[in-house]
Amino acid sequence: MTTDTANARGNARTRPNPGLLVIGRLVVPALAVVTLLFGGGLVLGLVQSLGYLPATGMQMFTLRHFAGVLSDPDFFYSLGLTFYIAATSTATAALISVAMALVLTSLARRQRVVHFIFQIPLTVPHLVIAVALVFMMAPTGLLSRAALKLGMINSSASFPLLINDSWAIGTLTAYVWKEVPFITLMILSVLRRTGMELLEVGKTLKASRRQRFFHITLPTIFPSLAAACLIVFAYTFGAFEVPFLLGQTYPMTLPVWAYKSYSDVDLMARPEGIAIGLIIAAVIIAAVVAAQLLTKAARHRGLVL
Amino acid sequence: MVAAGVIVVVLLPFVPLVMWSLSDRWFYPELWPRQWGLRAWQYVFSTAGTQILGGLWQSVGVAATVSCISVGIGMPAGRALGLFDFRGKDLVAVVLILPVIVPPLCVAMGLHLWFIIIGLAGSFLGVVLVHLTFCLPYAVFVMWGIFSNYDPAYEEQARSLGAPAWKVLVRVTLPLTFPGIIVAGLFAFLLSWSQYLSTLIIGGGKVATLPILLFALMGSGDRPVAAAVSIVFVAPAMLALLFSARYLGGRSITGVR
Amino acid sequence: MGDLKLQNITIDYDHTPVVHDFSLTVENGQMASLLGPSGAGKTTVLKAVAGLLQPRSGEIFIDGRLANGLPPEKRNAVMVFQKNLLFPFMNVEQNIGFGLRMQGRSNAEVHRRIEKILELTELTGLNRRKVHELSGGQQQRVSLARALVLQPAILLLDEPLSSLDATLRQQMRELIQDIQAQTRITTLFVTHDQAEALMMSQRVCLLLNGRIRQVGNPQELFYRPADPEVARFFGGCNFFEGQLKNGVYYSPFATVAAPELADNGQRLNATIRPEDILISVKGTQGLPGRVQKASFEGGTTRIWVQCQNRVFVVLAPRTDLCAGQNVRLHLPKDKIRIFPPGN
Repeated sequence: MTTDTANARGNARTRPNPGLLVIGRLVVPALAVVTLLFGGGLVLGLVQSLGYLPATGMQMFTLRHFAGVLSDPDFFYSLGLTFYIAATSTATAALISVAMALVLTSLARRQRVVHFIFQIPLTVPHLVIAVALVFMMAPTGLLSRAALKLGMINSSASFPLLINDSWAIGTLTAYVWKEVPFITLMILSVLRRTGMELLEVGKTLKASRRQRFFHITLPTIFPSLAAACLIVFAYTFGAFEVPFLLGQTYPMTLPVWAYKSYSDVDLMARPEGIAIGLIIAAVIIAAVVAAQLLTKAARHRGLVL
Repeated sequence: MVAAGVIVVVLLPFVPLVMWSLSDRWFYPELWPRQWGLRAWQYVFSTAGTQILGGLWQSVGVAATVSCISVGIGMPAGRALGLFDFRGKDLVAVVLILPVIVPPLCVAMGLHLWFIIIGLAGSFLGVVLVHLTFCLPYAVFVMWGIFSNYDPAYEEQARSLGAPAWKVLVRVTLPLTFPGIIVAGLFAFLLSWSQYLSTLIIGGGKVATLPILLFALMGSGDRPVAAAVSIVFVAPAMLALLFSARYLGGRSITGVR
Repeated sequence: MGDLKLQNITIDYDHTPVVHDFSLTVENGQMASLLGPSGAGKTTVLKAVAGLLQPRSGEIFIDGRLANGLPPEKRNAVMVFQKNLLFPFMNVEQNIGFGLRMQGRSNAEVHRRIEKILELTELTGLNRRKVHELSGGQQQRVSLARALVLQPAILLLDEPLSSLDATLRQQMRELIQDIQAQTRITTLFVTHDQAEALMMSQRVCLLLNGRIRQVGNPQELFYRPADPEVARFFGGCNFFEGQLKNGVYYSPFATVAAPELADNGQRLNATIRPEDILISVKGTQGLPGRVQKASFEGGTTRIWVQCQNRVFVVLAPRTDLCAGQNVRLHLPKDKIRIFPPGN
């Protein structure tokens, strides 16, 4: 998707602009739906988090819900945990993906079964992999039973905590399993389209294997790798199901906390939940903007595509 | 070597799902179920059949509706973005990328109050609308990619050969962009299909799609049934993958999340 | 600097041979072209020399050293691809300097050599340009410069001009010839364009269906094609049959002394180029014929003449002939090429 933009520009540039009326007719429906529903959702969320809640009779503009969240001593634990999960799973998945992409390009295209199997996690909902990992990694799960059978542990209590643990191992496992194929396939399409030819050029221009990787492969895949990583980071930072099922109960990740507050029986907690949601959105948008600026700087210096 | 590794790592998580769904009695620390059986599957298809199959249809209905609307509205937008350069194009791109990266949680919480007031909360339509906020932009991006490699001269050729506009659409444009339409539709379907939280917030439990039921089952602790429902939940997505592998010439469905 | 020697190369692709028993020597400082229609296996040969694929059998010697088994980066041959394949994330200077940097040359040396090569390829001042800001011709020159700057023993050019329009292509041909004459770099040049091969190279190797059909200097291939297929590739279209008797070749159209051919009464094919046939309206000399059609081509007119049971194609600089007209054809004896036995 986003990686095709350079290409898209090329096609669009050669064509005369058919006028705002024609373009408007094509774009406006989609834009209207997104603006109304997405934009409307965010604005209404903001309004509510700023204290306008007719159901409870609160109609005062106030910053106290945001203040309440930000001054909560648990907030920074949660923020840290959420960031740790998102950053670690994205970085791990990215490293594995680059290696996988290289392996898959060297693997003959004819090995279609591998390619097919490799795509399976793309279609598996996060919820299902979380459920599967509960069955696999819980203290009474399949791994624990196998370890006991093999005599590696002597009771379920001595099995290491892999889910609901403080290192979020279960959550990270689920995300890495799910996101590696996504990132890999994003890189792979670029690598197959232009990367292979450029690598041949690199060979004839006397670049060693290592040099080809750092000077050709990495700069070529960087834009799609970065785009894929951003999407994964944004997703893992704002997702609910996996940390809810596999994460520890305290501290919670921000999305889990946001939903807990929002669905609290105490309606007064609802604006705080929405405030946390907006903070999540703000962090993600800030991360994307920062990444864009960094990429622009790198491009300016000719480091990447 | 690597191939074998990939296959094991990908398929391993399904082993406990399948085993648990086929076990009647299985206690810790046994490695194999003490008694294999179809209790869970009987529960899924007969005891709680109306509820779970109802959830399946609910899920299919929501995802199919979202997918159709996304493609229908997304295709013209993708065409404009892929074929033309115009003022404000960057802004349009930003407006469309935001719903892709901002978690649906934020939007759903904001929309909830409004939907309560206009009577959409707890309704099928309400859930479809909230899913559209992120499925539609995805479809637009896919179609953008498709149309950036599309040559509208084919349409002009058809027109000059005497085809009226609607025939050009049906006989030229749609066949040429068909693989892209399928991929876009598949993306939107899968995104909507696996959505939990926004469905829960807007649907309020009244629109009981499969993920809502699965979450409730995980809470109840009946592992065999939860495993069986999980399998029911992945099956259509797998079929979609098989379908795409079969009909899109083995092309990978790059970009699906 | 160095010579290139290919001995009995056979190359497989997907277990089917695409190049059979290919042998070719390019002398030091020579510009040779590998000519053939698309799909003949030209690029395959080039890639084998570059080391991008391995021949099933045969030897490749670059500068006198056996290169089989050497990876591309260890070979003293650089290939310029058909698509310019410039690194899109680098500017002109970075692209040209790529190979030198890979060898770990010092900054000063890299800059000095880049400047020199920019001048040679008429790109001076474009150092900082982004690849997508260059014209097609400039991109192709950068691609050439990127290879030349490494001063390889062998330069391999894979149809580097095919993506350019006619005028630009002519300019690039001249530029490449100039550069080759100046640097005296041994060059193997792949093309499907016979005119390009004839004008650019000192030695032409014609490849058809993965096999060498003829190697020689441009005049040899053009005037003394080894067999009818070679003649056809260079635009030959007039073929006829005759018989040898007592050192003389007899055919209904011409009688030619052929003392060099074995005299055993066998039937042999012969050809004459369309521009070598003389045509006249008056007189009683020559073969009588009738014009079937004439098609004006600018400098010349292509005329189809029915003569006995054959149709001869004649290229002549006259415009006064029309269908149905009676003419006389004259086939100069020295322009007739009799194919040796076996064809």
